[in-house]
Amino acid sequence: MGEFGRGIWEGLRLIFGGDAEVWRIVLLSLWVSGMALLFSMLSGIPLGAWIALSRFPGRRLLIAMVYTGMGLPPVVVGLFVYLMLSRSGPAGILGWLFTPWAMMLAQAIIAFPLVMGLTLSAVKGINPRLRPQLVSLGATPRQATLTLLKEARMGVIVAVIAGMGGIISEVGAVMMVGGNIEGHTRVMTTAIVLETRQGQYSHAIALSFILLSIAFVLNLALLRLQGRSLD
Amino acid sequence: MALLKIKGLTKRFGGLTALSELNLEVVEGSIHGLIGPNGAGKTTVLNVVTGFSPPTAGIVTFHEQDITGKRPHEVARLGLVRTFQQATLFHSFTVLVNVIVGCHLHSQIGFLEALLNTPSHQRKERAIQEKCLGILKFLGLEGQAQELAANLPHGHQRALGLAIALASEPRLLLLDEPVTGMNPEETARMMELIQRVRQIGVTILLVEHDMKAVMGLCDSITVLNFGRKIAEGSPQEVREDPVVIEAYLGTGGHAA
Repeated sequence: MGEFGRGIWEGLRLIFGGDAEVWRIVLLSLWVSGMALLFSMLSGIPLGAWIALSRFPGRRLLIAMVYTGMGLPPVVVGLFVYLMLSRSGPAGILGWLFTPWAMMLAQAIIAFPLVMGLTLSAVKGINPRLRPQLVSLGATPRQATLTLLKEARMGVIVAVIAGMGGIISEVGAVMMVGGNIEGHTRVMTTAIVLETRQGQYSHAIALSFILLSIAFVLNLALLRLQGRSLD
Repeated sequence: MALLKIKGLTKRFGGLTALSELNLEVVEGSIHGLIGPNGAGKTTVLNVVTGFSPPTAGIVTFHEQDITGKRPHEVARLGLVRTFQQATLFHSFTVLVNVIVGCHLHSQIGFLEALLNTPSHQRKERAIQEKCLGILKFLGLEGQAQELAANLPHGHQRALGLAIALASEPRLLLLDEPVTGMNPEETARMMELIQRVRQIGVTILLVEHDMKAVMGLCDSITVLNFGRKIAEGSPQEVREDPVVIEAYLGTGGHAA
């Protein structure tokens, strides 16, 4: 208990004391996971809605693949991205390995099926008669889809929350492709692993405390959005 | 003057002829009934007229404009709006927002304008809200404006469906079984609302099973059976037509 209390105290001191290294780690975590989440939203929400609303051969198979992708183990994604980006790999020429770009890529791959899959199931759950009714009221196909997404907004926001939760707390992939390099690719989760291994428990607890608080604040913000009505 | 003209409309599905050489005119300002036993082709008429299903042959004109083969939203934007059998609403929105959604499909609000929430955008939003409240008041739903649509009783949900349709400013409303499944009290109320809608200048084509409602509301009635028109005229004429009586008795139904 003494360790824990000290950790929290240490956490507050590190945050409000303006410890440069801690701030760098926190900001890098937000930058990497934020960009990854943004990318997965921009691609996953429209694609999920499209799969939910259209009919084509192989749709069932695709949906099964998306749902499988929601459970991708981060270390497997890490391995895949590592092999892609390693010097002899197909994308080795980018020189992204052990940079924040590699971490964003890996996290975007983890979040993308989560956002797409949960959007898909949310839009699929809407009354199927709603779309023809909207079109009969004069909605263009694009307007109809956007309006359906509004009706499914609760589910879409859950999709975004799940995507964020899946990556901000993820350690396996960022460790493998980022390398936990101090001042360059060290994020909150990899720092927690390192500090714990070195026996710096209070530092690790401080970072955990910060990580939890950030996740909590982000979730609160998203839930506020969910509760707000259209007007 | 005929607002909607259907000429020689034929629709085949494979070997099955759902509609055969149908001619139909809906006079502006009237309530026109389209009735017939199950499988007579009533819903096919609605689907073809609103562009959901292309006709095999024939021409549909609306307000002197050929609309055959136009896409559903294009037809709707000309003022020909259809409501579906089941009330289809946004359950997660309030009653007012449901009507506002209907309005938004036609308002000229740009994305950037909405994002920046400019004064001109705020003005337009306020005007839309006023208009939608007006529609709810017109249909006696103003007391429920802030309730969630999912929580409305069945009769009110159907009235809300009518309100959403009115928000898109139709000239001709195609009502698909608006009173089916309602109790007598709800039916009477809905009939009164439909009358009210006609009084503000909206022409109505009514597809309905409930004979009492059809006979009570319509100025003229077209009767279909097996995809063909078998009778047309005033409610009185149709009610006494032996062909119509036979068609209904033949399938176990009853005409009036």
